[in-house]
Amino acid sequence: MSSTPFSLYIPRDSGMHRLHPLTKLALVGFALILGLFLPGDWLTYLAFVLVILPLAAWAGILPRFLPAVLKTALPIVVSLFLVQGLFWPGGTPIFHLGPLSLKQEGVTFAIRSAGRFIMVISSFLLLTFTTRPDGLMLALSRHGVPNSIAYVMLATLQIVPRFQAKANTILDAQRSRGLETEGNLFIRLRALFPLIQPLLLGSIVDIEERAIALEVRAFGRAGPKTSLLMLHDTPAQRVVRWLLLLASLAIIGWRVYLGLAA
Amino acid sequence: MNLDVEEVSFTYPGGVEALRDVSLTIAAGEAVAIIGENGAGKTTLVKHLNGLLKPTHGRVTIGDWDTREHSVARMAARVGFVFQNPDDQIVEQTVGDEVAFGPRRLGRAAPDALADATAALEQVELAAESKTHPYDLTTPQRKLVTLASVLAMHTPVVIFDEPTMGQDARGVALIGRIIETLKAEQRTVIIITHDIDFCATHFERVVAMANGRVLADGPAGRVLARADLLATTNVEPPQLIRLAQALGLAAAPLSVDEFIRAWTRRNEPDRRA
Repeated sequence: MSSTPFSLYIPRDSGMHRLHPLTKLALVGFALILGLFLPGDWLTYLAFVLVILPLAAWAGILPRFLPAVLKTALPIVVSLFLVQGLFWPGGTPIFHLGPLSLKQEGVTFAIRSAGRFIMVISSFLLLTFTTRPDGLMLALSRHGVPNSIAYVMLATLQIVPRFQAKANTILDAQRSRGLETEGNLFIRLRALFPLIQPLLLGSIVDIEERAIALEVRAFGRAGPKTSLLMLHDTPAQRVVRWLLLLASLAIIGWRVYLGLAA
Repeated sequence: MNLDVEEVSFTYPGGVEALRDVSLTIAAGEAVAIIGENGAGKTTLVKHLNGLLKPTHGRVTIGDWDTREHSVARMAARVGFVFQNPDDQIVEQTVGDEVAFGPRRLGRAAPDALADATAALEQVELAAESKTHPYDLTTPQRKLVTLASVLAMHTPVVIFDEPTMGQDARGVALIGRIIETLKAEQRTVIIITHDIDFCATHFERVVAMANGRVLADGPAGRVLARADLLATTNVEPPQLIRLAQALGLAAAPLSVDEFIRAWTRRNEPDRRA
């Protein structure tokens, strides 16, 4: 199975890759619900270590998955700790840094929020790294999701690599005309401004062209459609999907009950 | 200034080996066309010439500058690069500002940058559009704007990636005239093209690439006449050479005049007889 252009999919011959796209969606969704709904500040991280990481290892993508999670999450996590830790109104100071002090409540909030953010990012990346976008779209369409909604989901998954590729090309074009992008943070930030116009205009043109291309290929036609992609599903996977769905609902119900009881 | 590509290999982060042991020397003032099928490594090679890509093995020098030791922005003072898609390049609100973008980045004073931009716009016959928003122009016109924006930088080396793509006959002729002007100014011109007739008309040296390697490198008449070799990289010889070969002429004419001379020469003994 070859890599598809403008997607984050990493082709591997792994058990995780061979799973039906909906089974992967259910697995990742369950991991996400575990991370977001488990009580306490540290159970989210435990869900990341005990569910997400083993799944990534099973898929054989750990060396590319971990740096991607780190690269995406780190800027937000660092700013969370800085903003919440240093600027928490009131609170108990645990460390003084000149006129600023690190507040225990802010740090606790940052730990909880960062864990949830890491879970969301890692679940999204795990799904996109191991699932062909066209396979996911087909699976959703076959299970009653309207084509247009399945397409919106697919486009969302593809938008990051498309934007990234376009931004790199535009940046290359500007560097070739003398725009300095190497150096301190200020130089790098200033280099981003010339990117904005071609990136936005290019994306708008791109969206319009994609819409026309889809229309002329009968995307809006009602009725069943044929796909050249074959999806393999098994009764065992169907059972697992139902169990994961029930378990996810149970976790949400339990948390709602705890919330009401409190 | 000379361009030296010394035993360069390059592998993309995904593992695709795009260049394999490529060596090439381009002398100052030479006009070189790089041809070959899609995926042959042409764009990867020229991206090494202004430092956008750094070799995995080997080295590239532009004059006395090793591309690994200079930023792309600094290399821009020596190598101008016109990208294939104009919409990846245009960033300003008016055509005039867009063309002055490069000279301003190179540190030229505002009046000088403006003068360079005006002269370059006259060269591409778009001087009247200097106050127009680039997106109000047609795509071929926007392509000419990007071409002008690199001409305005007055770099000793100019690289064009598919400059004639999407141009009508008038646009192709205009780009041909610009290339001839650059050659007359002794500037080095490098072009990537699938337009073999354009390549035969304006370029004295042709480099044919396939699978990340240089397949052939030499005078245009010699490289473009090798139909068997070009076929391996899915390129057809120019129409005039194909016609000459079909008529059994020994010459490889690159222009109509050369074809007529070869044809006349062949028929001279018949006339004497």
